[in-house]
Amino acid sequence: MKGHRECVRAVNSKRPVNLDLATIKLPLPAYTSILHRITGVILFVGLAFMFWAFDASLESEQSFNAVKETLQEGAFAKFVLWGLLSALAYHVVAGIKHLFMDAGIGETLEGGQLGAKLTLVISVILIVLAGVWVW
Amino acid sequence: MLVVSVYRYNPEKDSAPYMQEFNIDTKGADVMVLDVLSMIKEQDNTFAYRRSCREGVCGSDGMNMNGKNGLACITPLSEVVTADKLVIRPLPGLPVIRDLVVDMSLFYKQYERIKPYLLNDTPAPAIERLQAPEDRDKLDGLYECILCACCSTACPSFWWNPDKFVGPSGLLQAYRFLIDSRDTQTRERLSELDDPFSVFRCRGIMNCVSVCPKGLNPTKAIGHIRDMLLRNAT
Repeated sequence: MKGHRECVRAVNSKRPVNLDLATIKLPLPAYTSILHRITGVILFVGLAFMFWAFDASLESEQSFNAVKETLQEGAFAKFVLWGLLSALAYHVVAGIKHLFMDAGIGETLEGGQLGAKLTLVISVILIVLAGVWVW
Repeated sequence: MLVVSVYRYNPEKDSAPYMQEFNIDTKGADVMVLDVLSMIKEQDNTFAYRRSCREGVCGSDGMNMNGKNGLACITPLSEVVTADKLVIRPLPGLPVIRDLVVDMSLFYKQYERIKPYLLNDTPAPAIERLQAPEDRDKLDGLYECILCACCSTACPSFWWNPDKFVGPSGLLQAYRFLIDSRDTQTRERLSELDDPFSVFRCRGIMNCVSVCPKGLNPTKAIGHIRDMLLRNAT
């Protein structure tokens, strides 16, 4: 027989929760969904820089040319621009996949896998094209 | 020799859970994971887990096996084991009472919330409420749910909001009553679900579909509920 004190401690103890994400296998659509969220955050933050550059370009003819030159010549600026375009491309493609699923297309296990793969393939193509366009 | 690493936690002794390894000799047989658990229990009788029917009907032994939720009794080793290693952890996201036994209160609360019974405000007939075969067919793929919680505890949306998001299992059941031709409270049921969390936290990643031991599709049911909510909107 356990003592009363042990029982009370067992019942009142703060119970642990098994939620160590490293131990849990997630299917591909889970990762594409996480990526959708991450690219959304990147776009949200990145838009501030784009607005800043847009605002700077509107100040005068000289500032417009300066911004233009930075985006055409600056390696780092180009890389940031490509990064933002990549995030946008992925976010749009994943969003369109959501629209298809809302219409009831790709709601089976196989359909979901295929949708996730298509999302990745199409956005990789768009990201490469964006790179070609920027450079 | 199979090396099985199991999640151990005894609230009376342990301040934190830990993993314990057992060497199990199945003599080459492709047994079910539940059989392995009983072999572990022979080595250490303080090991705790739930089981009842041992044939995938009762839904007691849902657990996380090598990273994927499922019923131990109908999961053969060949389906989950890689490189003679098996890691068994309790269903994710629910408080652990002891070892593999989790507290399912939150899960049941969401089930209770969707009123999992027929609501009909017309006078009860003398014998039974009749249903056309084609209306009965609409319940296929929904009524089979055994509430094992494999799906809801595989769902990140349920992990982060188990008190507000109904979860795949609860929503599958909600749809089962929403489309039952004998139920007259469709509109009321929908208005209970019409908020940003109950249904719309679903992001359609289909973890639920990939783990359901009964092969059911909560994602599709959730899609139907969303359609009904939109059509019902004023």
